[in-house]
Amino acid sequence: MLSHGVSASGPMDRRSFARAGQWAGATDGTGIEFTMAGLALTLVEGEVFAAWDGGEFSVNLNAGRLDWPGYTRLAPGDRLEISAGPGGNYGYLRFGGKLNLVPVLGSVATSTRARLGGLSGRTLAAGDVLEIVGVGAAPRSPQMETREEGPIRFLWGLHAELFSAEVRQAFVAAKFRTSTAMDRMGVRLGDESGVFSAARVLSLVSDPVVAGDIQILGDGTPIVLMRDHQPTGGYPRIGTVITADLDRFAQIRPNREISFAPVSLDHAHRILRSQTP
Amino acid sequence: MAFIAPDRPMIVPLGDSGILVRFGEQLDDAANRAAIGFADSVLQSPPAGVEEVVPSLVSVFLRYDPMQSDFGGICGELRLRLTGRPSAHSPNTHIIEVRFGGADGPDLEAVAAELGLDAPGFIARHNALPLRVLTTGFAPGFVYCGFHPEGLVLPRRQSVRPMVPAGSVLFAAGQTAIAATDIPTGWHVIGRTAFRNFDPLTDPPTQLRAGDLLTFRAI
Repeated sequence: MLSHGVSASGPMDRRSFARAGQWAGATDGTGIEFTMAGLALTLVEGEVFAAWDGGEFSVNLNAGRLDWPGYTRLAPGDRLEISAGPGGNYGYLRFGGKLNLVPVLGSVATSTRARLGGLSGRTLAAGDVLEIVGVGAAPRSPQMETREEGPIRFLWGLHAELFSAEVRQAFVAAKFRTSTAMDRMGVRLGDESGVFSAARVLSLVSDPVVAGDIQILGDGTPIVLMRDHQPTGGYPRIGTVITADLDRFAQIRPNREISFAPVSLDHAHRILRSQTP
Repeated sequence: MAFIAPDRPMIVPLGDSGILVRFGEQLDDAANRAAIGFADSVLQSPPAGVEEVVPSLVSVFLRYDPMQSDFGGICGELRLRLTGRPSAHSPNTHIIEVRFGGADGPDLEAVAAELGLDAPGFIARHNALPLRVLTTGFAPGFVYCGFHPEGLVLPRRQSVRPMVPAGSVLFAAGQTAIAATDIPTGWHVIGRTAFRNFDPLTDPPTQLRAGDLLTFRAI
């Protein structure tokens, strides 16, 4: 849909979203993404299997604590309450069967930037009623993966050669800090060692943008573009976070130190193909 | 740095799931035409593994599935396509009716004055020749159209308006753009059209294609 000016949107942490779907027996790509603001919902009628994953949140069923990640069967009147836990920015709640949503442009994702999909393209609000339809698939326990640590891996980007060799070396050597200015469109980074302090405002022709692009704004602020990124952009991009590390990056909370490590395209593909699920 | 030109495009990875074929580093007519022509020819029969083809101002973006397909193989195929003659799809022509000035185009008078014209003179020159759709981007259905002749070139405004309504007709950088949704913009707002180039309930959701010709008419 980029050629119509719409970016793909979808879960910030795709693998956690997929795992929640396996636990729940989801039969399509629907589910609920929530942030540290949490989520509380009550099953009005019927019975349904529900599962959660992504980050480390805290979950209660009728005031009884359950494991994270995990799953349960909900009965009428059951209240599920999820609140922020020790880590992560995004969590997922998925169901056996599917949420009854009208696909827009071939997707059930909500793009709050384009105001499309989900419930009128907006975030959920208290009082919203969601319907789950169809029979769930047999729940499967997803393969647990070891948590990746270490630098965020990236490919040198479209405009890497516009940065001097010194700046490129400094970019790889430096520590950056995630800021509170983060949302589904992008994450602004603090550049305390001033890697990009001498950034010039360059007038570049706009080219298509992809999720993971690390662009440097005119004032030297690095920003990593995320799932609801703008479709095109004219700021210089020094690199692109590899697909295999973008989920992990999305879960890093504000005010954490991060660093970046370059990999080759071949290596990025090998890492991706070795990942589960 | 390698010098990129319309007849010497550069194929580069954009992340680990995308390829960018670049026909220029600055926006110009030849690079834009080369990108549109190449996107058309690739769209007619995309190489195996290519999932999306997106023409942009001076480049073409191709998305592939890195789990299945091989970057080198797709690039090889694209290089072969680049040596072929770009297909020339016959562009559609659209008439865009615009209410210029007033509340619909609060910057019209200032734009005209800056160019040494009065408002009617600016409108006449603006509408004199059809403009080509250069690309869709920035926001759903938002189109960039160009190019105006030298006497009709102004930089963007100093400040960004946080929101202009869908249908706003915008002017800057030798181009006219049309907003299909409410957007923030630093371009000059010269008018408004009832035409909407975005409807999420139709397939495809946009009517204008890169390369199409637009004739602007004052109403």
